[in-house]
Amino acid sequence: MPDETGINQLRRRDFLRSGLVFGAGAAGLAAGYAAVPDAFARGVYAAKTNGVVNDRVLVMIQLAGGNDGLRTVIPLQDPRLHDLRPRLGEMSVGQALPISADLGLNQSLKRTKALWDRGRVAIVQGVGYPNPSFSHFESIRVWETGDPSRRQVNGWLGRTLAANYDSLGHPLTACACGSTGVPGALRDLQATLTVINSQKAFGFTGGSEVEAAVGALYRATPGIYGALFDTAMATAQEAIASLETARSKYQAKAEYSDRQELVFASKNQLAAALQLAAELIVTGTGVKLLHVTLGGFDTHYTELARHDDLMAYLDSAVGAFYEDLTAHGVADRVLIATWSEFGRRPRENASGGTDHGAAAPLLLLGDPVRGGVYGEAPSLADLDATGNLKFTVDFRSVYQEILGAHLGADPKEILGGSFAKLGFVKAPG
Amino acid sequence: MTDAGPADRPSGAETPTVSLRKPRLNRRSVLGAAVAGAAGIGALRLLALEHVQRALPGAGTGEGRPDWLSPLGSEPARVMHLLRRTTFGAMLADFEQAASEGYSKTVDRLLETKTAPPPPLPAQAARNGRLNVGALQQWWVDHMLRTPTPFAEQMTLFWHGHFTSDYRKVGLQTPFMYWQNLGWREMALGDLRSMLLRVTADPAMLRYLDLATSTGRNPNENYARELLELFTMGVGSYGEEDVRSASQALAGWTAPNPRSVDWEAPQQGTFARARAYNGGPLTFLGRRDAYDTGKIVDRILGHQASALHLARKVVQQFVATRVDEPFVRRLAERFRSSRYDVKTLMREVLLSPEFLAGASYRALVKSPVEFMVHALKALGAPQLSRLVVAHAPNMGHVLFDPPDVNGWPSNEAWVSSNNVMARVNFVTAALAQLRSLPAGTQAPRHVDTVLGPQTARLLSEATDDRTRWFLTLASPEFQLK
Repeated sequence: MPDETGINQLRRRDFLRSGLVFGAGAAGLAAGYAAVPDAFARGVYAAKTNGVVNDRVLVMIQLAGGNDGLRTVIPLQDPRLHDLRPRLGEMSVGQALPISADLGLNQSLKRTKALWDRGRVAIVQGVGYPNPSFSHFESIRVWETGDPSRRQVNGWLGRTLAANYDSLGHPLTACACGSTGVPGALRDLQATLTVINSQKAFGFTGGSEVEAAVGALYRATPGIYGALFDTAMATAQEAIASLETARSKYQAKAEYSDRQELVFASKNQLAAALQLAAELIVTGTGVKLLHVTLGGFDTHYTELARHDDLMAYLDSAVGAFYEDLTAHGVADRVLIATWSEFGRRPRENASGGTDHGAAAPLLLLGDPVRGGVYGEAPSLADLDATGNLKFTVDFRSVYQEILGAHLGADPKEILGGSFAKLGFVKAPG
Repeated sequence: MTDAGPADRPSGAETPTVSLRKPRLNRRSVLGAAVAGAAGIGALRLLALEHVQRALPGAGTGEGRPDWLSPLGSEPARVMHLLRRTTFGAMLADFEQAASEGYSKTVDRLLETKTAPPPPLPAQAARNGRLNVGALQQWWVDHMLRTPTPFAEQMTLFWHGHFTSDYRKVGLQTPFMYWQNLGWREMALGDLRSMLLRVTADPAMLRYLDLATSTGRNPNENYARELLELFTMGVGSYGEEDVRSASQALAGWTAPNPRSVDWEAPQQGTFARARAYNGGPLTFLGRRDAYDTGKIVDRILGHQASALHLARKVVQQFVATRVDEPFVRRLAERFRSSRYDVKTLMREVLLSPEFLAGASYRALVKSPVEFMVHALKALGAPQLSRLVVAHAPNMGHVLFDPPDVNGWPSNEAWVSSNNVMARVNFVTAALAQLRSLPAGTQAPRHVDTVLGPQTARLLSEATDDRTRWFLTLASPEFQLK
């Protein structure tokens, strides 16, 4: 694409959307576009032409594998924790960073604690959903689609994108940073988004000649994947151009480091991904929805050191990100929210780890947050039949607040219902 | 190289994206553009493209984007389709041999030829008792590129994604990841029961899913859950009590001590009775019994869910992204009645009408490794295996390091803005390292000479072999199988 942001954004957008719908249209469905069976039924031109216009940005951080809530926001006064976790409990409590008489943050969350002290951290206790799945993949899908009934196939952020921002028109409206594939939360057939694994490697090594050739090659591609390919290539080309501009305008104002020694975690680029997110935000690319992932939370085995390391990595990367945004004067627009498919079993196992659990606390950070603890921590004395914590806050309550109070979108349209209000986002202004 | 960006693109029927210029699209205009596109493609056949035998006027269903015109009515195209999906794409000699043998004989040969063993691990992959992951990856890619029995490697790759483990957790001070790879190759077309007994005691798996540290008294559920959810039955066909019972019954396995093993003599784990369950009756999948590993596996296989789960996965890997349930049930029944013989299952798949149906043509996306290996084979450049290892991370397909216990995604999940770009960069890098190339007129053969309008046009305008190879290998057609 010769022009990165200038002309014909709307036209490009229309083309991209039409192309996508084409891919899943009657022919696509007949040939079996399995991933998106209901896309066509939702209507070709359902997306709004006038979407939400504000400067709010959301950054979702996925803690993949199931983060241990009881070692993230730690109950300090509950003796049952020691009974359930003879090896994991004591250390966690003894070294926790207290935030109240009853609660402490994991000892590694030092910068997060400093943000807490400044009222920039909200903790939502006991987040989960009814009849929890203990399968990573099924529970990830529930969280990604925002649908515990497992019927919805599009991601909750993908639907948000399609319904609210699509017509604004460029593929960097939503971006998965530090990933090679589209995260399920952002997936929607009518939404276009960018996936950037590594900023350094994002671009055509063959230069403009190659770029022009593939631009011509990926057009009107037939078949069930045709629109997907064409859109992915057009998106890549536009994003490369935007990124080039952004790169020249951005200077990091914080120390990002991925040198954290992690046992087992296969993705070790959270800080780089957040730095890319910061670059996209501060240089005015128009990015609204960002998604990054840190893996390694499936701590069935020798959890103590591993989980502390993961917390330290998260703390350092998010700390740098927040500092960078603040130094660039944009922190007031950016909400950072963590999510994980489930918490972990209160009782530890033979391997010094914990098995798949259910409810867990979520952390939300940033200037748009009204600091404090929301919701009720589930009781360790009242576990369910599988020995897990009973949820007290539906995860869609958290989504609802993010969508409505922060992004200014209509949560009911996205989530298909209303949920209990929490109030962790400040009123704008 | 031909520059044909939107600005200087000739206006003409062959470019459906002419719709780009219209400020507001409606459904009719888009369809109209697509139909015009299809007509234009037909016209391309009149161009002097002797190597494009079939330039695809796939009219689709009359509504929507045109589909590929399946050439699978012809025997050579069927053979090519088979080799593309089972051998990382064929070199000219392979294709000629298969074409002269015919389709069903080729299926027999793929299934019945004894697997060529990979060469021993080179010294640099295992220095001082430490596994070098890059060298291990290259060792396997080298074998994919050079083996006379590539189907075994496709199956090994399939099982590596199914019974998956990663080197990060298994550790590099052991040969366990290497052994696991040898194991899946050895058992690739064996029976599922033996594989399940093997995977339960596989040293890499004992570490990866923690069975090595589980005990009967206080079990670690990790392995038991994934055995039921991912390896055999699939989510929804068992309950939490089954996970608990299985985790108790399976506890007690121990991995060999890596310091006292011979790297070229793979071992299994051993059963340590002291850590095992006390043997009292447990309820598992509705039956109360005193279970051990063998009985757990038998009880699982007595249920029909595993055959369905495996058949579905094989269909998505080898036939089509949309799974036809009656087909899956048919395969599952055959699989089960053959006592879970994988060779029987694969024969059934490859000889099925579904495999050769028009809807199956180009219905799968090559994984990044499949794409890169095919590209290097097409270029006759197996010496560039290091490029595969170097480019895999930016495509999310790092051998011995799957993203999670579910292995790698498939098909449409491989298509993202990042990955289409990364694939093009691989082609650029490979071509840049080659001083001489096979004749460019050979290139379209690797995509059956069934081309989309843009690919056909650009190829017809190409004036040198380098450009022809670039266009072919970077084309959307080549990403499909």
